[in-house]
Amino acid sequence: MPESSFEDFVRQHRQEFEEAGPPSRIWAQLEEQLVPRKKNRVIQMIGRHWLKAAAILVLVVNSVMIYQFLQMKKSQHLINVSPEMQEAKTYYTSQIEQRLQTIKSYPASVLGLDSVGRKELELRNETYQMLETELMQNPGNERIKAAMVRYYQMKLDLLDKILEELREKQPVSQKQSNYEREI
Amino acid sequence: MQASANNLNNTAITDHLVSRCKKGDTHAFRELYNAYSAAMYNICLRMTGNQADAEDTLQEAFMQVFKNIERLENAGSVTAWIKRIVVNHCLSHLRRKKVYFEEVDNIDVEEETIVDENDFAWTVAAIKDAIHVLPHGYRTVINLYIFEEYSHREIASMLDISESTVKTQYMRAKDKVRQIIKQRKLIR
Repeated sequence: MPESSFEDFVRQHRQEFEEAGPPSRIWAQLEEQLVPRKKNRVIQMIGRHWLKAAAILVLVVNSVMIYQFLQMKKSQHLINVSPEMQEAKTYYTSQIEQRLQTIKSYPASVLGLDSVGRKELELRNETYQMLETELMQNPGNERIKAAMVRYYQMKLDLLDKILEELREKQPVSQKQSNYEREI
Repeated sequence: MQASANNLNNTAITDHLVSRCKKGDTHAFRELYNAYSAAMYNICLRMTGNQADAEDTLQEAFMQVFKNIERLENAGSVTAWIKRIVVNHCLSHLRRKKVYFEEVDNIDVEEETIVDENDFAWTVAAIKDAIHVLPHGYRTVINLYIFEEYSHREIASMLDISESTVKTQYMRAKDKVRQIIKQRKLIR
């Protein structure tokens, strides 16, 4: 047999020397290694453009904060939190304002109230502000709503009593005595 | 018929595939793997001599291919490039297993003995079995020369030994194969 026969035989039967391909798990393992590589690329990109990324991040965070602030402001109006309380407030405010105007028409000597006392009779005092703030934070809280209504009624009662005493001291004109309690 | 690295010609599709791989397209990686994995797995099997090592080496080599494909300048040489990466990984694997490729003295013509062809019934199975039991050094040289079709010079460069040593090793390896087949035939 000539020396080249071995090489010739192998070349002629080359394909018969081949075995089946690798098991499928090899690709599965390769794929697992490829996926984190993609993530690394993103991190590398951020690393390369960190200044731009930081600027974009600041813009996005600012926009979100401004949006949330505006939303918060918007929702802080009583009408958005509790429309029925807004309605009650409008009614009682007008009633209280009418009585306050009448009280103010009396001379200070008859009235006997200092400026602090007068201020307390108005709606825009600390107690009322506190109740309204509480309601903003707990919009569905019925106890706060009831407390606010009681507060309005208490104030109205107080004003009526003051007016009654004033009338006794110094009867006023028709216009001033014509109030009725409305609830 | 199984795929072999020798019949994987570069086509227009392969060129397109390479450009997709360069863009990091995982589907393209899969296609590239499907096109070459069988042929490359066979190289690993022949070079490492066992399935577990062949699988590990194939996986490592393909990861290397995917990581470095951006550097491949000529898409037309992708087959040779992948094959070289796979072979290099197999050689690294052998070196890790303390297989050394050392210089040997030139042998005489005694290896070139004329053998009676009746003593040899070349069969694929007999050759595969004989190569499988060769020492690592002989097996590496015979595989690179006869199956992977590298020249003696290329093999010398890969193994960092002289071309004459490669020729000598190849002659001895071939003689060993012949002896093993003859012995097995006599035993039967």
